[in-house]
Amino acid sequence: MYGKIMDPEKIISSSDLLVKIETVCKRRFSAENDQNECYVYVIDSLKADNFKRLRAFKGKSKLNTYLYSLINALVIDFRRKQFGRRRIPAGVAKLGKWAETVYRFVCWQKFSFDDAYDFLRIDDLYSGSYIQFIKEIDPIKKAPCRENPAFQSIDETPESTLKNINAEGSNPLEFLIQKLDREMRIKAIKVIRETTVELSEDDQLLIRLVYGSDQSVAAAARVIGLPASTAGKHLKSLLAKYREKLLAVGIREP
Amino acid sequence: MGKWMNRTINPSVGLESEDHIPVEDLARLAEGGVDTAERQHLIGHLNRCQRCYQILQETLKDLSAETSMLPVAVPWWRTRMFYALAASILLVLLIAGPLAIKQWTQSPRVILASLDLDQGLKDILLEDDALKWEKKERVSRLLTALQQRGLAVKDLNLVLLSKPYYQKKSLFGPKEVLHIRIDKNVAYLEVEEKD
Repeated sequence: MYGKIMDPEKIISSSDLLVKIETVCKRRFSAENDQNECYVYVIDSLKADNFKRLRAFKGKSKLNTYLYSLINALVIDFRRKQFGRRRIPAGVAKLGKWAETVYRFVCWQKFSFDDAYDFLRIDDLYSGSYIQFIKEIDPIKKAPCRENPAFQSIDETPESTLKNINAEGSNPLEFLIQKLDREMRIKAIKVIRETTVELSEDDQLLIRLVYGSDQSVAAAARVIGLPASTAGKHLKSLLAKYREKLLAVGIREP
Repeated sequence: MGKWMNRTINPSVGLESEDHIPVEDLARLAEGGVDTAERQHLIGHLNRCQRCYQILQETLKDLSAETSMLPVAVPWWRTRMFYALAASILLVLLIAGPLAIKQWTQSPRVILASLDLDQGLKDILLEDDALKWEKKERVSRLLTALQQRGLAVKDLNLVLLSKPYYQKKSLFGPKEVLHIRIDKNVAYLEVEEKD
């Protein structure tokens, strides 16, 4: 137990909570209007049913951490409520699942058509050549897309966070994928995905947090219950495993 | 974060469960406050549920951002520990001082060594790209690191790096070796890539 439960009315009127909500909403939404709507939605949800969500706090975690988790959960709800009703244009839907996926990637999530092609190939949703793909996406390009260019992603991971790692970053798997040509990249991603699901549950989460979500080793180690130094060493051995599997299918750094 | 790894290994939306982890349990997990059995159960869910995974990783991000904004305060017990440590060191010096002086005078003046460039040494080299290390703390960290790796170096006043060192991110990258020459408390460093 970390302490007594606070009065919900005091919590909701505290500047600390309001700053937390503002910070999270700003991080998750690029458009100012969406940020404001997110802010109002979270406040209203916290007040709903006589502060039911705040009253649910039992004091098993720190209040600060609980509030962050709660705000993030509500922001996800808001995102789904806000964007979940969108429909794929009929002209795109009739082309098939692959076309719907391309539309989602490019229109809603603001990836490039090139990225969309790679994702389709990775998920075995499209087997044609790139040239064929470029021809076949013509109707998708003509479809209405009110979100583009002022697009807001419905994906759980906001587009703004899906940038390529910078030069100072240290994600050897991402770095490798970036350097490979298209065919090798698709092959490498499949190997990495297969290798990941073969790992133990703890290792999967460790890899996801550190190399999939850019969390610090210390934070990921805390979640899986390891000292940071042990987790760091373990990550190195896991990277060696990925390296072996990649080498086994002929993937090397170009 | 990297777009490729993010899309490649994050939990699938398709397998998402409706039976989500309670928010307070996610908060406890973010703090590292769950026992082993419960953790296994939660981690199993997190690897399959995008919503819960997203809440957890966003919470970790928030906590990390908040921590990085806090001023570094020295807790009182650290100060006391510092004094206790200083007293212990003084005692050791009084007892072992003469022996240490003897050892000092007998140690070679020039030390030459080559070490595998591990993450600990890399972290020190990557702190900034200065070739002449002016910061005492950084010099001191290098001294400690070298001592921990078995070098009989007693003190360092200055460190000179032959060329700026940059992180090699390659998964298949060449092995790197740090060549060290220490003369009159001045360390000369050079990183060499090995095939």
